[in-house]
Amino acid sequence: MTERSTRRPATFRLDDPHVTVMEPDDDAGRLARGAIRITPEADPLSMPVVIEPPLLPVRSGFRWGTLFWSALGGLVLMGLGLGVTHLVEDLFARSEGLGYLGVTFAALAALALLVIIAREAMSLMRLATIEKLHARALAVLASDDRTESRAIVQDLLKLAHRNPQLARARTALQGHADDIIDGADMIKLAERELMSPLDIEARRLVSVAAQRVSIVTAISPRALIDVLFVAAAALRLVRQLARLYGGRPGTLGMIRLMRHTIGHLAITGGMAASDSMIQQVLGHGIAAKLSQRLGEGVLNGLLTARLGLAAIDVTRPLPFTALPRPALADLAKDLLRKKDEEP
Amino acid sequence: MASLSELVEEARLSARALLDYGDGLFNPTVRLGVTGLSRAGKTVFITALVHGLTRGGRFPVFESLATGRIARARLAPQPDDDIPRFAYEEHLRTLIEERRWPNSTVDISELRLVIDYQRHNGAERTLTLDIVDYPGEWLLDLPLLNKTYEQWSAESLALSRQGPRAELAAPFQAHLATLDPTAPENEQSTLTAAKLFTDYLRACRDDRFAMSLLPPGRFLMPGNLAGSPALTFAPLDLPADASAPDNSLWAMMVRRYEAYKDVVVRPFFRDHFSRLDRQIVLVDALSALNAGPEALHDLEAALAGILDCFRIGRSTILSTLFRPRVDRILFAATKADHLHHLSHDRLEDVLRRTVGKAAARSELAGAAVDVVALAAVRATKEALVQRGRDRLPSILGTPARGEVANGESFDGETEVATFPGDLPTDLDGLFEGSAFRGLSTDAADKADFRFLRFRPPLLERNGTEEPALPHIRLDRALQFLIGDRLQ
Repeated sequence: MTERSTRRPATFRLDDPHVTVMEPDDDAGRLARGAIRITPEADPLSMPVVIEPPLLPVRSGFRWGTLFWSALGGLVLMGLGLGVTHLVEDLFARSEGLGYLGVTFAALAALALLVIIAREAMSLMRLATIEKLHARALAVLASDDRTESRAIVQDLLKLAHRNPQLARARTALQGHADDIIDGADMIKLAERELMSPLDIEARRLVSVAAQRVSIVTAISPRALIDVLFVAAAALRLVRQLARLYGGRPGTLGMIRLMRHTIGHLAITGGMAASDSMIQQVLGHGIAAKLSQRLGEGVLNGLLTARLGLAAIDVTRPLPFTALPRPALADLAKDLLRKKDEEP
Repeated sequence: MASLSELVEEARLSARALLDYGDGLFNPTVRLGVTGLSRAGKTVFITALVHGLTRGGRFPVFESLATGRIARARLAPQPDDDIPRFAYEEHLRTLIEERRWPNSTVDISELRLVIDYQRHNGAERTLTLDIVDYPGEWLLDLPLLNKTYEQWSAESLALSRQGPRAELAAPFQAHLATLDPTAPENEQSTLTAAKLFTDYLRACRDDRFAMSLLPPGRFLMPGNLAGSPALTFAPLDLPADASAPDNSLWAMMVRRYEAYKDVVVRPFFRDHFSRLDRQIVLVDALSALNAGPEALHDLEAALAGILDCFRIGRSTILSTLFRPRVDRILFAATKADHLHHLSHDRLEDVLRRTVGKAAARSELAGAAVDVVALAAVRATKEALVQRGRDRLPSILGTPARGEVANGESFDGETEVATFPGDLPTDLDGLFEGSAFRGLSTDAADKADFRFLRFRPPLLERNGTEEPALPHIRLDRALQFLIGDRLQ
């Protein structure tokens, strides 16, 4: 009761001369006697967003490496073909039945190879589409081109077609297709509608992988097992993320994705170091004081998380503009908290 | 005789439940009971809910909408042909364009909402949501179903002699003293008694007293029955153990009371409350806090009586077939936007305490129970007011025309910042006799709490689309009520 008697209900008109209305981030000076100051509290729903720098290094020039691998692949195929032809001829020489069997096997192998190549090509094309979408979206964010933004949204919808979680978002976006919305805003709208559920899921995937890696590292008996496990977990994580965002990478696609991810990690590593290195070292230091293995576990977990974040950047079809980019700090929190809960 | 009519009633309810079950097999339906006394905000809640679902509001906690699995929600023709349609568009216009709260509901109405969604596994499904709106006063009648005229009479009279009611009931009491229950029936004096009794009930509803326990509800909101004999009766001072002589005033009152139950209360209960799946109980605790401890007590008693009438508990196959039960019940303290969010927890505590017995019983019966402070339409923003050394967590908004604070009356255009007072942490104290001062006993400047009534928010239109209505925790309420049916 005593407390309440000091804080009685009170009402102030905003047009009262004694009342000043402040902006949320104004610096508050001293309050004059008898004056009343009202500071509206910020609404977290309307925060400004920034456009990110381009993600991938721009490649240019003739690619000798590609030529080399293609030529080598051709040679190997021809050699294989020659070998098989010889084998089949020998088989026919020995007996007609064996010869036909050999032909059948060769045909089946050739068919399977064709299908595999087609699939890999499809998956590579899909990855390329995603990367291209990313680049086009970045360009539209800068140029504010309306027709191009429509085309991008159409392509995105095609990509998102298989994901049941996006049913409503797709309907909503299609509803906006004829509205008059500026290019950059359309991209932001598409990002908010289509990407936010996927982002949450992606964050969860990364943090689960990081936790798993850190726990296995902390308890595994041999260093070799850690290394294998970390590599396997990283591969799995990148594949899951690519699936989530609409690319379904095959083997070649995975190689390409891993290359991009690691490349991206190398580029952003320097930038991100300032904001999160301190935390990493701190977390590692404290954990290492408790136990060396625990410290290594936390460090490996953080590295996996960082790889996951890089993979998100690479696999996501739209750049982060309207939505916040997940930060290592959030994931590290998950990681350490989980540690506390584990016995 | 009574037991036979009860049996018939039970049989009717079971038959209806069976019919609904068959229907539900092909067309999954959730009947959402929006329960609340008058002025608790039922109409606004329904309007905001329908608007949020059809338009896709900002509902981050409502998983199926937030993750995008709800493709769309649309209004569909309602199932009952004899009930008016809920005037959704009109209420929405009132809220957004006129910036006025909808008028108080005078008649029952119904709305059907069809939700198209995709399940987690990718299958496309449809869920039908039936919502009924009705005057909150009618709800007060439900407890009468289990009371005889003599019981009701004694309770009403005892209540009318307590606290601030005594003064309001004085004219009725004076007339009552002239009536002799055993005298022959007399239409004129009965009419006068009913009119005086209605006047007394109406006076209790004033904002200054904000009483809740005011049966029979149709006296306040008669609908199309105004003036009929079923609505022309009043409590009498009856001798303790005697029975009504033939053709006496008493016997007439008993007859009319029973007619009231048969004609008014029972059909209403049968059609709308006996077959609910989910229930939200909206409670306006702030008006009661405004008025004083008596109003708070009254609210507690009224809610306890009403909730006794519902069938709450875990659903089993048998129960779904023959006796549907409410398996999820949410108690919501409405108008949470009249408080800074720092006080929402305390408001929830006050509500939890107010509905404590009913909530405990529901939980025991196996129903899922939750308590939430919500605002279906958020009319205010938050601000920090510095006055001298005080820092008051306040709210900004435009009070409705005619609201009074600091001795001045507002014109409905001026914006104000208001600090409504600190809600207490000590709840036991709150429910004791004169724990705090309200409008019913003290002048406005002495009251411990002052919750102004605000106009709906000014919304900016973005293109031709209707603006999303701001809200507080409406998404959490939705998630609790129907989230599991949209998995």
